[in-house]
Amino acid sequence: MRILLVGFGFLGRELAKALRNKMSLLIRIDSDFRVVGAADSKGYIYSEDGLNIERLSGITKLSEHEDYKSGREAVELINRDLCDVIVEATPTNIKNGEPGLTHIRLALSRGIHVVTPNKGPLVLAFRELMSLAEKNNCDLLYEGAVAGAIPIFSLARECLQGDKIIRLSGILNGTTNYILSRMFFEEIGFEIALKEAQEKGIAERDPSYDVDGIDTACKIVILANALMGRDAKINDVERSGIRGITQEAMSLAKKSNYAIKLIGVVDKRLEVSPKLVPINHPLCVHGTLNAIHLETDLAGEITLVGYGAGKETVSAILNDLITVLRNRSGKSPKKS
Amino acid sequence: MKFNMTLALADKPGQLLRALEPIAKNGGNIVSIIHERDRPVEGYVPVSLVVDFPSHQSFRNTINDFRSLGIMIIRSEELVEKVRLTFILIGGVDLKKIVESKVEGAKIIGLEASTPRLEEVTVKLDVEIPAENVDELMEELKGLAREQNVILISPIYP
Ligand SMILES: NC(=O)c1ccc[n+]([C@@H]2O[C@H](COP(=O)([O-])OP(=O)(O)OC[C@H]3O[C@@H](n4cnc5c(N)ncnc54)[C@H](OP(=O)(O)O)[C@@H]3O)[C@@H](O)[C@H]2O)c1
Repeated sequence: MRILLVGFGFLGRELAKALRNKMSLLIRIDSDFRVVGAADSKGYIYSEDGLNIERLSGITKLSEHEDYKSGREAVELINRDLCDVIVEATPTNIKNGEPGLTHIRLALSRGIHVVTPNKGPLVLAFRELMSLAEKNNCDLLYEGAVAGAIPIFSLARECLQGDKIIRLSGILNGTTNYILSRMFFEEIGFEIALKEAQEKGIAERDPSYDVDGIDTACKIVILANALMGRDAKINDVERSGIRGITQEAMSLAKKSNYAIKLIGVVDKRLEVSPKLVPINHPLCVHGTLNAIHLETDLAGEITLVGYGAGKETVSAILNDLITVLRNRSGKSPKKS
Repeated sequence: MKFNMTLALADKPGQLLRALEPIAKNGGNIVSIIHERDRPVEGYVPVSLVVDFPSHQSFRNTINDFRSLGIMIIRSEELVEKVRLTFILIGGVDLKKIVESKVEGAKIIGLEASTPRLEEVTVKLDVEIPAENVDELMEELKGLAREQNVILISPIYP
């Protein structure tokens, strides 16, 4: 299959390195596996025979590549059916989903499979995109979009096919969990913990997307829609962030064997807010870790813990890609 | 719904069976039974039962049947499942309003405050409440928090 990387930022580059390292595995699954192109916001490189993955994984900007065509757009390659799968890793935009939404819509409508860690299009148009994928008989996989490397969607798809998920709760944002963990262990205030996170590159200069719970709310929407059959929108989520959490509040919680964590919940509620979590509860993980706790009718309780962002996310993207290869290689959706 | 009952049975054979009959007849399910035969008081043996009845009516019918059989009832009451919840409130909390909030059966069993500055007081509140009133309590506290511009941190699974 022919792979096109749309977006060559942090994850695009990390994915290129992983593809280079895992090439023999990929070729074993699909003898025709090749990365035919990579695009950023200003241009792309493309080769029908496949790019040299060694070269691609060695560059930090696509424009360093000798074949870089500046002023060109990924949509041209998608429109001309010059690929079978796109990995859509452009920036998350929860206002209008762009440019990811256009890329994904276009790809699916042309029977091109999509693997994406980009939350924006999923938050805004989950049902539309899933039915577009179904109609065109192609895969839309998004494991990396929620809780990074934690294989929550794959687990549900493969291992909980007969279970009904009754409640889902989780720590879905590593930045806020880092801040709250520092407040818990070091007994420092929110502002200092935030500053420290910013210095370490864990929090953005403008931290509102994380600390006000918007990122967690996006993930709750995707989880509710993908795993619990909802048609939730971001405005349906009752949301409050962690800005007002004081050192005193954390100390009072700690004295009673609780930690304060930013928790997203889907049950009859759709809620993101700081909660008191007993320190011996499986969700009570610290640092930048994420955790998801499922309660199902058959399995009872299941908790997954792992890294929600960073280069570990590549694990999820690569697994999605391999899933597409196993499902589809040699079986072009356009021919079936 | 579960009920706690203590009966006084005459200390002679067959009395326990006689007492259990109305319970079965009214659809009650015996959860536990303590028959203190070695502790007769003036010829009577206390029997403590926890019974799960399908309705209040079936409980009342059983009590009436006991009465007509001449079985003495020492005590009978509904067993209410109670839960303990911890909350933390940050900001200028008006504790009076919280104490006066009128959720049925809610009891404040613990209160701890840390006061760096009065307008920023942080309060930990432990509440005991019948399980069935938890949602109501949550709504009440959320409302109060909104009204007073206070941050409410509630238990993860109330
Ligand atoms: N980083 C993580 O740990 C992580 C974890 C989970 C999910 N995600 C999600 O994964 C996605 C990618 O993350 P990232 O960290 O790799 O972001 P990033 O470093 O900002 O990279 C985004 C890339 O998209 C490119 N791009 C922007 N507009 C484009 C367009 N119209 N056509 C083609 N390419 C375009 C950018 O090009 P230029 O270089 O020219 O600007 C850049 O190469 C985001 O949606 C993010 O939310 C990230």
